Order: sequence, then structure tokens, then C-alpha cells
Amino acid sequence: MADAQQQNSTVLKKLIIVTVLMFGFGFLLVPFYKKICEVTGISKDKIAVSNTQMDPARWVSIEFDANVGKNLPWKFEPLTAHLRVHPGEFKQVMYRVVNTTNRTMVGQAIPSYGPARAGSFFQKIECFCFTQQTLKPGEEKIMPVQFVVQNDLPKDVHTITLSYTFYEQVKADAS
Amino acid sequence: MEQAPRKTSFLQAARAVFWSFFGVRKRTDYDSDAVKLTLGQVIAAGLIGAALFVGVLLGVVYLVTHLAAK
Amino acid sequence: MEATHAQDHGHGHPTGLMRWITTTNHKDIGTLYLWFAFIMLLAGGCLALLIRAELFQPGMQVVTPEFFNQLTTLHGLIMVFGAIMPAMVGFANWQVPMMIGAPDMAFPRMNNWSFWLLPVAAIMLVSSFFVPGGASAGGWTMYPPLFLQGGISNDMTIFAVHILGISSIMGAINIVTTILNMRAPGMTMMKMPLFVWTWLITAYLLIAVMPVLAGTVTMLLTDRHFGTNFFNAAGGGDPVMFQHIFWFFGHPEVYIMILPAFGIVSQVIPAFARKPLFGYASMVYATGSIAILSFIVWAHHMFTTGMPTSAQLFFMYATMLIAVPTGVKVFNWVATMWRGSMTFETPMLFAIGFVCLFTIGGFTGLVLAITPVDIQLQDTYYVVAHFHYVLVSGSLYAIFAGVYFWLPKWTGRMYDEKLGKLHFWLSTIFFNILFFPMHFLGLAGMPRRIPDYALQFADFNALATIGAFGFGLSQLILLVVVLKCIKSGAKAADHTWEGADSLEWTHLSSPPPYHSFVTPPVVK
Repeated sequence: MADAQQQNSTVLKKLIIVTVLMFGFGFLLVPFYKKICEVTGISKDKIAVSNTQMDPARWVSIEFDANVGKNLPWKFEPLTAHLRVHPGEFKQVMYRVVNTTNRTMVGQAIPSYGPARAGSFFQKIECFCFTQQTLKPGEEKIMPVQFVVQNDLPKDVHTITLSYTFYEQVKADAS
Repeated sequence: MEQAPRKTSFLQAARAVFWSFFGVRKRTDYDSDAVKLTLGQVIAAGLIGAALFVGVLLGVVYLVTHLAAK
Repeated sequence: MEATHAQDHGHGHPTGLMRWITTTNHKDIGTLYLWFAFIMLLAGGCLALLIRAELFQPGMQVVTPEFFNQLTTLHGLIMVFGAIMPAMVGFANWQVPMMIGAPDMAFPRMNNWSFWLLPVAAIMLVSSFFVPGGASAGGWTMYPPLFLQGGISNDMTIFAVHILGISSIMGAINIVTTILNMRAPGMTMMKMPLFVWTWLITAYLLIAVMPVLAGTVTMLLTDRHFGTNFFNAAGGGDPVMFQHIFWFFGHPEVYIMILPAFGIVSQVIPAFARKPLFGYASMVYATGSIAILSFIVWAHHMFTTGMPTSAQLFFMYATMLIAVPTGVKVFNWVATMWRGSMTFETPMLFAIGFVCLFTIGGFTGLVLAITPVDIQLQDTYYVVAHFHYVLVSGSLYAIFAGVYFWLPKWTGRMYDEKLGKLHFWLSTIFFNILFFPMHFLGLAGMPRRIPDYALQFADFNALATIGAFGFGLSQLILLVVVLKCIKSGAKAADHTWEGADSLEWTHLSSPPPYHSFVTPPVVK
């Protein structure tokens, strides 16, 4: 009888282990599923990122430049100075700005392009120059520019220089 | 010295699993299965059989989709 | 079924209510399971009748659309987890120890616990109708994103499913251990009655997939309350993944509900054909085969979710091949009846009804396995007709066959054969009036889970509703038969059906002693 009970509890232990393993297997199915979607290319994320507008045969160099107006003592610089992109390719670069004074100031960045005619083919999706920037004394900000160089950029343009200049906005202006 | 019986019992396990997928087994064969085969062997053969079955199906699917594409 | 134990009350176990709460006797627990399943069957049936009453005519008459959705959801959950599965476990409790010559289940206390979890879960499910917002209304499959929204009733449903899952797993562990370790001397695996075999395989299926269900509803719970994003697309999750994991549980679950039914029918048919079961070994192997194949066909429930063609083809072929072992079984039952000395008592009628009607359900299943057809018929009444043919005229008919078959053994008294036959014929006629028109409704495009419908569906829906009330009321006959049998049935012989040859007939009295096979029988 004791022997039979021993046998029973052995089977019980084994089956409980199986149960726990299968519970874990349920959760393991989550990474499995993601992996299978990825490998077989069913994953919708993958479809979303493939950019059909891009022209992979052509390269354009982008130079990033930063200046400040003469009565605005801010430190202003691009974190990436240079980038090679395909027309149609979506890119993001960051700029850094520091208010080195001890008062709160409001600034507005104005972009300019070289050559100037490239400006109408340089499409900014998001830019810190769209709004005024308010910086507290000593405050530092990292700000994005998201852009696409359009496919119909004239063939003879190989380099575009994007230059920003920050000007101070006086209070009366701002309101 | 265990070699010979092990080999035949593996074959027998494979055969038992094949017939079980079809769902038909002769009574005499079944009786000898029950005597000769251990649970572990049957489970192992069953898993291999299931994997083979999935593989064959995937092969058929591959053929069908690629012939249809032509 | 009180009468069962009338002569054995001298052992000092509690009487009255406490006897049933504290019992560890496999017969008592089997009785409890079966009564619980019957009550749940009536509860789920009432929900179904409300559904059919609303669908009697086009337009909204009886219930609100929100309540209608709650009805379809709870009807499914109660019937699957409250009626069919507990009834099958009830049979296992009563029959497995008696059929293999064991004195009781391997873990009697765990057995008690696994039953008494059920009423808790059932109360939680049913009472969710009365919480703010009403019961779960997203369908019994609990698909997100709908299930991630909604009120506290969804949490109650999740917990109820957890509890039911724990109960099933404990029951399954008990059954596996009993069958593997507690067979009488000489009762080799290949001598076990087929019912025991089907339950052994079913129990393994339960142990394999109920934890997966528990895992996936846990994910739902953490998505709802603890900020995870398994299924929440806004947080990077994928609601379609729920369907994959759910049906990885859900398809083996289908076989969990039908394999024990195969087992019961495989006991009943040889007894009344007075021939041994044709192809016993094949039946065992076919059962195992169905169980293994059930793990690789789940995605046929979700052909319309946007799968690659190759995946659709794979699941379509695999699904169609599962019909082979199922077909082997049907042929074996027919071959068992072939040239047998058949008599048609109520259990045999239900078993034959099972073979005929389940086969119809199997064939519509094959139709639905064809991907392009399924894309057309997904979520229509054709699917409703299909799974009611396999679950009602499949599992439920087998349960009825088993109840009539073993009632004389359990109670020691005969049931009323006339009433039993009346129960069968009324059930079968009304069942077909109820579900057969649904094939046509589905082919014509009527969607399921909809409280209102276009005018062209009106006639068949009215017919189905008439069938539903007829079928529902016919089930009260079973209640009358069972109560009458317990109270005033004629004394049953020990070997009630002379064609039956398993141990409970040949070695035990009717009713069997409270503790049977205390000394194990020797099987030659």
C-alpha cells in the first residue's frame, strides 16, 4: 500500500512538472509568435517601414550648420555635422542649444539653404524652427529636425547645406 | 548485446506510430507492441512521427504554392 | 442517487449535507459531478432559449442587444466548461475505478477539491450577470480587444476560467495516476475498456492545454490591470496572437469534449450489438492519433485573420487528414453493429443517434476545413450548426447514452424504458428541427451572435426556435426518468446488459458497494 502511494506521488510530481512547463510554454508562445511573424515576413511593422519612395541609386550630402544672432549669447550646434542620404529617405538629426546667460530668453531659429533653390525640395516634417524656443538660465535643449529630401531634387544638386540662425524674440514680439 | 532488440523495437515503435496516424492496427501487432514497447519509445517515435508529418505537409504546401505560381 | 449507498452507511462517515461536502468516495464525487453538469446544462439551456426566443422573429422583442451578447457568451462558457466537461469527469469518476478494478481514485482528497472548485467558478460566472455592465459580452472565446475593455464581469470570467482550469488539471492528474498505477492484477493496458483509454488520452490532453489557457487568460488579466501589452495593439501587442494561443488550447479542447464521448459510445454499442468492439486496437491508436494531430490544426479557426496562403494550406491539409482516424472510428462502430444481435434500448438509441448525427457534424467540419469555403462561412450560422452537431448530438448524446447505460448499475434500479425512448425520439426530432435549418441560414449568409436579422432568414429562424423549445423541454424528461429511477425503479440485475463485459458488470452488484474492489479482482 505504501509502495502504491509512493508510485502515485511519483506520477503526481511528474504531471505537476508537466503542468507547470505547459503554463510556461503558453508564455513562450509570445516570443515564438513574434519570431515566426518576423521570419516569415508577416509582421506588419516590416511592411510599414519599407519605403517605396526612396531612390537608393542616388546620394545627396547634407551639411548642417548653426549660428546665433549677434545679440543672442546662446551656444548652438548640430550634433551631426554631416550626413549622406538617399532622396526620399526619412532622417532625423539633433541640434543642441544652451542658454549661457542668467535670464530666461526666447529665441526663434530661421533656416536657410545653400544652394537656395534646394530649399523647396528639402521637406521638414518636424523642426525646432517651427516654434519659438524659451530657455531658462543655463538650460540646455536637444532638439530634432526630421526631414526628407524630395525625389525630384534637380540632378545637379549633390550637396545641400542647411543653416540655422537663432535670433532673440523680444517680449512684445512674442505676445 | 542490447543492440539487436533495441533496433527492432525502434522499428516497431516507428511502425506502431505510422499505423496510429492512420488509426488502424492489427490486434496481434498491437498485442506485441504492448509487450515490447516502452512508453518512452512510443512518445519519442510519436514526436518524430509528428515532426515528419508536419514536414511532409509543409513540403506539399511548398510544391502546391510553387506549381501554382508558374 | 441517494439510494446507491443506502446499505453502506455503517462506516461512520458523515451523513446529510456534510457527507457530500467532505466525501472522498469516487462514486459520490462522480454523482456530484453529474448533478452539477445537469444543473449547468439546464442553466445554459435557459440562456439558449432566451437567445432563440429573441431570434424567433426579426426585430428586437425579448432582450436588448447588449444582453443578447451576454447570453451568447455565457451560454458558450457554461455549456463547455460547466456542462460537457464536468459530465465527462463525472463518468470518469464513477467508471474508471470500477472498470479497472481499483478501490478508488488515486488521490481521493484532491478529487473532492477538484469537484468543489466547480460550484465556486459557476457562481462567479452566473453572478456576473448582476454586476454593473452585465456579464461578459465578447463571445466565449474572450477575444481582445473587446475583452480588454468592459467591466468587472470580464475579470470574474477570467477568474472563473482559472478555477475551472485548476479543477480540470487536478481531475486529469487524478485520472492519469489512477489508470497508470491502480489497475487490478492482470488488467493490462490493452485489456482496458475503451472508455478508460479515451479518458487516459483526454487527461493527457487536459494536462497539456489547460495550463496554456490559464496562461493566456492571465495575459488578458495583466493587459487589463497591470500595464502589460501582450494583446494591446496600441502598446505594441497583437490581438491576433491571442487567437493563436487561445486556439492552441481550443482545438485540443474540442477533442477533450469528444474523446470521452467516443469512449462511452464504444462501451454502449458492443453491449447492444452483442459483439466485441470491432478493431479495438485501431480505436486506441486512432484516439492517440487524433490527440496528437489536434495540436497542429488550431489555425483553421482563424483562416480570415490574414495568414499567408502557405499557412492556410498547411492547416487545411492537416485538418482534413484528422478526418481519417475519426472516420476509422465511425467505420469501426458500424462494423461492430454489422450482423450483431442488436436490440434498441435507450442507451443504444442514443449511441446510434450519436453515430449518425456526429458524422453529419464531422462532414460539415470537413466542409469548413476548406479555406476558401471557410472564408465565406466564417462566423455564420453554418459554423453554429456544425459545432452543435458535434457537441450536442456528439458529446451530449454520448453523455445521455452513458447515463441510461450505467444508471441501473449506479442506482441498482431500472429506468423507465418508455420514458427513455420518448426522451430520445423527442430530443432527436427537435434537435434536427433546431439545428438543421441553421446550415441553410449560414449558407445564405446569416451571421452568428446577432440579435436581429434580415427578413429572408425569418422562416428558418422561426423553425429553429420551435425546435429549440421542443429540445429544451424534452430534457426535463431525463430529470423525470432519473428521479423516478432512484425512487421507484424496478430492481436491476447485477449484469443488467448481458452484452456488456467490463468489470463493473461482471464483478459488482447493482448498485455496487460503497467501497468496491477493496480486494482487487484478478483479470484473466
